Amino acid sequence: MIVTVTLNPAVDKVYWVDSLKICQITQEEFLTRASRSSTSAGGKGVNVSRFLSAFGLDNVAMGFVGGNTGHVVVRYLQNKGVTTNFTWIHDETRINVTVIESGRDLNPNLINERGPQITQPELDRFMRRYRRMVKRASWVVLAGSLPLGIDPGIYAELTTIARDSGAKVAISAGGEALSRALVACPTIVKPDTREHILFKGKELTSIEAIVEAGKSVVTCGVELVVVSHHVTGDIAITEDAVWEIKTDVETALFKNIVGADDAFLGGILYKLAAGAAMEEALRFGLASGIASAESEKKICESHEIVESEMEKVVVSRL
Amino acid sequence: MKVREIMTRDLTAVEKDIPVRELIFILDNAEMPNVPVVNEEGVLIGFISEKDLIRAALPGYFEMLHSASFIPDMNQLAGKLAQISEEPIEKYMSTDVVSVTMEDDDLRAADLIIRKGVKNLPVVDEEGRLVGRVRRIDLLRHFL
Repeated sequence: MIVTVTLNPAVDKVYWVDSLKICQITQEEFLTRASRSSTSAGGKGVNVSRFLSAFGLDNVAMGFVGGNTGHVVVRYLQNKGVTTNFTWIHDETRINVTVIESGRDLNPNLINERGPQITQPELDRFMRRYRRMVKRASWVVLAGSLPLGIDPGIYAELTTIARDSGAKVAISAGGEALSRALVACPTIVKPDTREHILFKGKELTSIEAIVEAGKSVVTCGVELVVVSHHVTGDIAITEDAVWEIKTDVETALFKNIVGADDAFLGGILYKLAAGAAMEEALRFGLASGIASAESEKKICESHEIVESEMEKVVVSRL
Repeated sequence: MKVREIMTRDLTAVEKDIPVRELIFILDNAEMPNVPVVNEEGVLIGFISEKDLIRAALPGYFEMLHSASFIPDMNQLAGKLAQISEEPIEKYMSTDVVSVTMEDDDLRAADLIIRKGVKNLPVVDEEGRLVGRVRRIDLLRHFL
């Protein structure tokens, strides 16, 4: 069983509009009408859970939820077949808004709320549940930003607890939370490069920089580092190999890239949990991400579509 | 149909040493009328409901009364509740718990819910660990 932890989940609201009008002068007022919209549960770990459930893999989503938006997250996941085990808090779960303008699908406008304030008793309640759940887990996924009140060392602590219980750990995060977690030796590291372009003190702008930073992490005991290099390609670094995973799919086909990164990680875990070799897991991962980007839904739930995308993915050793 | 196909996949549960105040917060926010009690391994060891707490806060002779209007005032209830709010829920939980497994039939779950007069049943795995619950509404939705 796989446990995913999303400490700062969200209600993801996506609006598709012809163009987003922005007020430029005082007393100006614009109404932007959405041609369509969607509401779903979001957050990086939550997205991984959605992917795993769609592909029939037993998983439990954990984290903090509160208020009406918290109920939206829990109910949405349960309807998608995800087992939920969230800790209820006094504050309210955040809402993240994505506005996709016609013809600009690759450059959506995002407004992400910071998230709720977590109190010490709430964190204690979560930790107790977490210790209970990891005893049943083969993999633990720690993903996404941290809500207010949570120390950046939390992922390091959660990694240590999971590893002591015999579970493997995948982390998809950025900044201090990720860098401090590396000390606890997670199994897979996927740096979130949306806001945190620095990883191990390096700007991840070139393949050379990605490989150098990844190698320094792998030598510390991490088994796999995966870094998004560009929209349709990633670099994977293991102890004995560096892989480039890419596809020649037209980015013009992309409809919603939010969550594609998480489908990528979900795809890798799905295959590794089934005992597949690394190369196949990476290929399936990128195919899952691409299939999700091509879908208006955040996560592609069709095994057939992912399989067909796999044919276009090329994995090569650098 | 099997319970696994109709159950609500939620593991919200509490430990027996949490205080009554915390339990009320969880019941209120999770919008659950009752909640399973589990040990550190996630094994089901009890069950506690709003009803158990109300019963604990009411005078001992309440069940002999025909109507709540015989209680002098609600301050008595509020005072007792405040008194027990820091006590562990273990004192008030029920340990005689009926549960089903994921492989049980929907009919067995429906029969137990009706016979026991409960709003939901915990679902456990072969090791007795909580894996979800079957609610009355799950059955109604399923049978419609």
